Amino acid sequence: MLEVKNVHKAFGKNEVLKGVDLQVDKGDVVVILGPSGSGKTTLLRCINFLEKADQGELIFNGQHYPFDKVTKKDILNIRKKTAFVFQNYNLFNNKTALENVTEGLIIGRKVPKEEAIRIGKKSLDKVGLSDKYDSYPSQLSGGQQQRVGIARAIAVNPDVILFDEPTSALDPELIGEVLEVMKLLAKEGTTMMIVTHEMSFAEEVASKVVFMDGGSVVEVGTPRDIFHNPKEQRTQQFLRRIIKNFDYVI
Amino acid sequence: MLFNTEFFIKTFFTALKGLPVTLKITLMALILSLPLGFLFAVIRLKEKSFAKRMVSVYVSFIRGTPIVVQILVIYSIVPSILSVVIKRFNLPFNIFDINPILYAYIVFTLNTTATLSETFRSALVTVDKGQLEAAEAAGLTRFQGYRRIIIPQALVAAIPNICTTTTNLIKSTSLAFLMTVKDITAVAKVEAAYGYNYIEAYLDIWIIYILICILVEFAFKRLEKRLKVYKTAAAS
Repeated sequence: MLEVKNVHKAFGKNEVLKGVDLQVDKGDVVVILGPSGSGKTTLLRCINFLEKADQGELIFNGQHYPFDKVTKKDILNIRKKTAFVFQNYNLFNNKTALENVTEGLIIGRKVPKEEAIRIGKKSLDKVGLSDKYDSYPSQLSGGQQQRVGIARAIAVNPDVILFDEPTSALDPELIGEVLEVMKLLAKEGTTMMIVTHEMSFAEEVASKVVFMDGGSVVEVGTPRDIFHNPKEQRTQQFLRRIIKNFDYVI
Repeated sequence: MLFNTEFFIKTFFTALKGLPVTLKITLMALILSLPLGFLFAVIRLKEKSFAKRMVSVYVSFIRGTPIVVQILVIYSIVPSILSVVIKRFNLPFNIFDINPILYAYIVFTLNTTATLSETFRSALVTVDKGQLEAAEAAGLTRFQGYRRIIIPQALVAAIPNICTTTTNLIKSTSLAFLMTVKDITAVAKVEAAYGYNYIEAYLDIWIIYILICILVEFAFKRLEKRLKVYKTAAAS
């Protein structure tokens, strides 16, 4: 359903992505792991054109979009079929929780207002915020804000949701509520690409784990492969550093 | 030298006849400068371009010259240019028929645009970059993102400075008499000149200006309060 080929991206002289290939099928939960600076976030942002990749191609729903030739219209259309959940939530500060969720429907997708409000409320109910429709982001905790962020993503019924370290900015006691929502989505078969450092969560929900380092994909496999039987030395080293007492032999 | 109370009261109302002119200049300058200033701010925030350099030269020129000099320059240059144009194309009107308020519009718009572009520039950078990214990721166009998400938030930061700019503009219009425009100040000066009652006349317009500015401040405070509802909601 979604595939990227040979993605290259450099910020000035700093080459962040050095030819990344990745495939996501419908219903996949792809978790991208890797040390900081490995290009995980940049890859995710390139897929949604929040960064403009220098080279490579995106194949989305059978359509080929070379990164250097993609038009504004293409980008808008791709964005209307995807959703992005940000590390620091990026909720619209001047909008209530419900307005945050309906904005992309009413303005972006021309959904009638009543219909959008109905979908918006349903989305907020799903993330457990039925009592916060009219709250502004400044009135919500980090965990609540991120759940609004997720509601905003699911409301538009996207083909894929891109999560960029959705729990990294949260206080430890608030991480759980966000991960629970994401687990629910995974169970329902939502296609997701998730950059995260939550290892046990990754192991639980992922259908595919991608390990990146230095701007390239080092290893791809099932959670079982990657967490318990990693082949590459760099993967082993990373997991050993991240997970205390990690043992990759079962 | 006696304080002529009767003249003082009478001139207060006479000077008020100049109020529409003062307000007309102010409003015209604001209506033109608000969108222009915003456009220039966006241009200045963009990456290097020719337009960006031009805007920044323009802002420096306006900021670096006294408004009195700008008035004198525009008031002498623009009519000369116009008269050349009129002669060249044999246009059927006389340069002396042009209402001098036109020159006032030009000067004060040029001036206010420069100030407002800086106001908007600083206000726009207070809005986190992620807000526009989120708007675009949600399927909004860049324009929609600016209109619905960025500008409403930037306005909250800009309002106090727009208020200052507006009151400064109102006060600056008092220099329009240099272009023979009959604003509050010009009317008062003319009245005073008959009998050398300058103190009374100046006190009159002093009161008028402060009244207008207090009203403007009040209006902006109300507006600010309304615009930043989303920020103050947390406290309630």
